[in-house]
Amino acid sequence: MDNGNLASNNGRSLLVIGGGIAGLTAALEAAEAGCSAIIIEKSPSLGGRAIAFNQYFPKLCPPTCGFEINFRRIKNNPRITVLTQAELEEITGSAGDYEATVKLSPRFVTNSCTVCGACAEACPAERPDGFNYNLSKTKAAYLPHKMAFPAQYVIDRNACKKDCSACVDACRYGAINLEQQVERKKFHVAAVVLATGWAPYDASKITNLGFGCYPNVVTNVLLERMAAVNGPTAGKILRPSDGKEPATVAFVQCAGSRDENHLPYCSSVCCSASLKHSTYIHNLYPDAQVTIFYIDTRTPGFLQDFYAKVATNGHLKMIKGKVGKVEEDPETHDLIVTAEEVLTGTKLTQKFSMVVLAAGIVPQTDGIPLKVARDQFGFAVNGTAGIFAAGCAKRPEEVSATVRDATGAALKALQCAVRSAHHG
Amino acid sequence: MGEPHAVQPDQKVIEDLMAFGAHDFKKCFQCATCSAVCTLSNNDFAFPRKQMIAAQWGLKDKLMGDPGPWLCFYCGECSKNCPRKANPGETMMALRRYLTSAYDWTGLSRLMYSSAFWEIGILALVSAIVVALFTLPQSFGFGLLSRSGAAPLHTVMLDKFAPVGMVDMGDRIMALVLSFFLLTNAARMFYYLTRDQKIPARLYITQLPSLILHAATQKRWNGCKDSEATKNWIRHLLLVTGYVTMFTLVVVFLPWFQVNDSSIHWTSFLGYYATTVLVGATVWMLIDRIRQHGEMYQFSHLSDWLFPILLFLTAVTGIGMHLLRVNDLPMATYVMYTVHMAIAVPMLVVEVPFGKWAHLLYRPLAIYVAAVRDKAAQCSSLEVAPAGPVPA
Ligand SMILES: Cc1cc2nc3c(=O)[nH]c(=O)nc-3n(C[C@H](O)[C@H](O)[C@H](O)COP(=O)(O)OP(=O)(O)OC[C@H]3O[C@@H](n4cnc5c(N)ncnc54)[C@H](O)[C@@H]3O)c2cc1C
Ligand code: SF4
Ligand code: SF4
Repeated sequence: MDNGNLASNNGRSLLVIGGGIAGLTAALEAAEAGCSAIIIEKSPSLGGRAIAFNQYFPKLCPPTCGFEINFRRIKNNPRITVLTQAELEEITGSAGDYEATVKLSPRFVTNSCTVCGACAEACPAERPDGFNYNLSKTKAAYLPHKMAFPAQYVIDRNACKKDCSACVDACRYGAINLEQQVERKKFHVAAVVLATGWAPYDASKITNLGFGCYPNVVTNVLLERMAAVNGPTAGKILRPSDGKEPATVAFVQCAGSRDENHLPYCSSVCCSASLKHSTYIHNLYPDAQVTIFYIDTRTPGFLQDFYAKVATNGHLKMIKGKVGKVEEDPETHDLIVTAEEVLTGTKLTQKFSMVVLAAGIVPQTDGIPLKVARDQFGFAVNGTAGIFAAGCAKRPEEVSATVRDATGAALKALQCAVRSAHHG
Repeated sequence: MGEPHAVQPDQKVIEDLMAFGAHDFKKCFQCATCSAVCTLSNNDFAFPRKQMIAAQWGLKDKLMGDPGPWLCFYCGECSKNCPRKANPGETMMALRRYLTSAYDWTGLSRLMYSSAFWEIGILALVSAIVVALFTLPQSFGFGLLSRSGAAPLHTVMLDKFAPVGMVDMGDRIMALVLSFFLLTNAARMFYYLTRDQKIPARLYITQLPSLILHAATQKRWNGCKDSEATKNWIRHLLLVTGYVTMFTLVVVFLPWFQVNDSSIHWTSFLGYYATTVLVGATVWMLIDRIRQHGEMYQFSHLSDWLFPILLFLTAVTGIGMHLLRVNDLPMATYVMYTVHMAIAVPMLVVEVPFGKWAHLLYRPLAIYVAAVRDKAAQCSSLEVAPAGPVPA
């Protein structure tokens, strides 16, 4: 791996925007085929959304599985340049011959960091922990998460106390430099892979489902963090209102997705994700009653087997019928869910100790200074020569599909680079 | 779940529904959000999702046997929350129009709902007959005007222009005619709603109070929980009191209500109440409809306009006639009287049995049958419950 000092500039480089599973895959596949790749990642560490999960469907293995191998491959590959806290500022030129200007925000912690954590211990300030979807806090001097790559602390200067330099004094390695400034780097690249991924839909916009009003209504991404051992509750799924174990949990599928008032498209992964979440709950509390309210269960291909396997659990009930209303019993903070059970045609009002909204995927293609075609929902559409989208920036898809997609995008980008090298 | 059976889609019904104002029902993907958000929909009668699929498939028999559309008061929460923007609320409204025509055995209702030409044409025809009855000279064999000698032009003598006895008789004949059509249509509705149902006869008696209660109070409306519900319900209730007062004055108390000269009679005060309420409520409703205020007024069919407009015009011409009469303006009074009749009579004869007004009987009848069916289902579920321990 190269830290940007040796950025290959021979005209056969690719620029990969986004360091999630899609970006990592595209960069690795291209680099292992002999092309240089520069990954620019907005946040301080790689891995994107998927690294924050507790487990992956369908195999239910922890994210360490895939990501550790990928991080090792990156470390060992001199053709890959990783830039974190980096964003594309400007790009000029055309397919085969782009000049990209990348803006690097200061990390305030240098390569000398040994991840000892003395800075965080000394730090008096706190900030909401975005990795845990703000369910917990970190110090202003923080490690993004235990598996963070690069393994290096960061300082959130916006959260710092005025005139404080406690961390500088605490660090024995002199790794902290609060004077770091914004930097800009220019790269000559042949093609761009757009892999900026997704963000969860803002569930508070779905006013009838009570997220943001009732503490025990949570979203699927929050549940992932609760279930994760390195998460805010150390792997316990507990009711936010009173910290109790939930006895009954309702999942509301298509919370925002397939809805003309919110996201008109199917987010494609949330059915499998909720099935996976039911296994989290049953691993912790085997007797908990889990009910999944769905319009249709969409688990295509091999995910159908995953569905069939999970559905054998007698404590999992699948009810066809979308939840129309979530209300709260103000005394107990239990939730009252209303739906129509379509298969029997009866209306149902039932109490649950917790409700999980299976919120959908919103593509993150806004605000990138790149001329890329997008569909009416904001998903990137291939069609601009030299720019290839991959992963959830292109369509909602699970990790394995993302990997296949990114491999394809890498090949397309490679072809572009090879063509330009022949001509150039 | 019912027995599986082959479903026969009926394209004709689907086309009808579209002509009756259902536009987006084909977009429905049966998610059931609508039935869940509806505060009136309950365990026994969950709607409007089921009506959406029955509409999509054009299942006429199913629709005609379903009280569901009449249990809905169109708060529009379903349409607001529908993820497909399939407008289930408007579909229920269109279904009510469709069912009004399906229950009508004469076919007139269907003709008028599906064609503006016929709707206006038939109203105009009845109007013309009324005008003729009052104005055509005796030589044509009728012409109330000259039957009892020419009406005086120096002072108002309404009895000379429109002899109260004859008008009263005409009123009652009209009431009989419209009741005949309305009741026979309602009987058909009752037949469709109750056939194929196992209902113990006594339930029809025990649930009777619900019929009267709902007809008199429309209180079910208040079960809607949208911000407009209480306002809509009270406004409608006021309108009903005005309408019932006026109808009673005209049909039962005409000899006292139709005052001959320019004097003021006790019945006038009841008339003041009724007309104030009618004008106020219809104008308010029309303003809401013009401004498309709230879900209920997003889409308007011709029948939705005619209903308040005719009522408004009836009240206004009634007021006009009263003012002209008490000011002793004979000719103007007679003309206004004729105009008043030419609006009120077609409104009643056409709209009550064949149009939107049929809901005054259909709604309470459906609520009543729904209650009966509900009770019957409860009874039968009790019967099949295991009776005591199984002998060894
Ligand atoms: C609740 C839930 C559970 C899921 N569970 C599973 C599962 O169990 N198994 C499975 O296979 N899939 C699962 N998925 C799907 C999985 O999350 C995606 O397939 C995967 O995250 C897609 O990876 P990506 O690289 O396309 O996007 P991301 O993971 O979103 O990565 C994008 C990266 O780009 C960065 N970035 C964004 N914008 C910019 C920018 N302008 N400049 C630079 N960098 C930028 C981001 O910081 C991020 O690091 C789940 C999805 C959801 C919603
Ligand atoms: S994957 Fe399932 S929950 Fe998600 S949008 Fe599609 S159907 Fe709805
Ligand atoms: S909410 Fe809309 S799409 Fe869903 S069942 Fe009702 S009408 Fe159909």
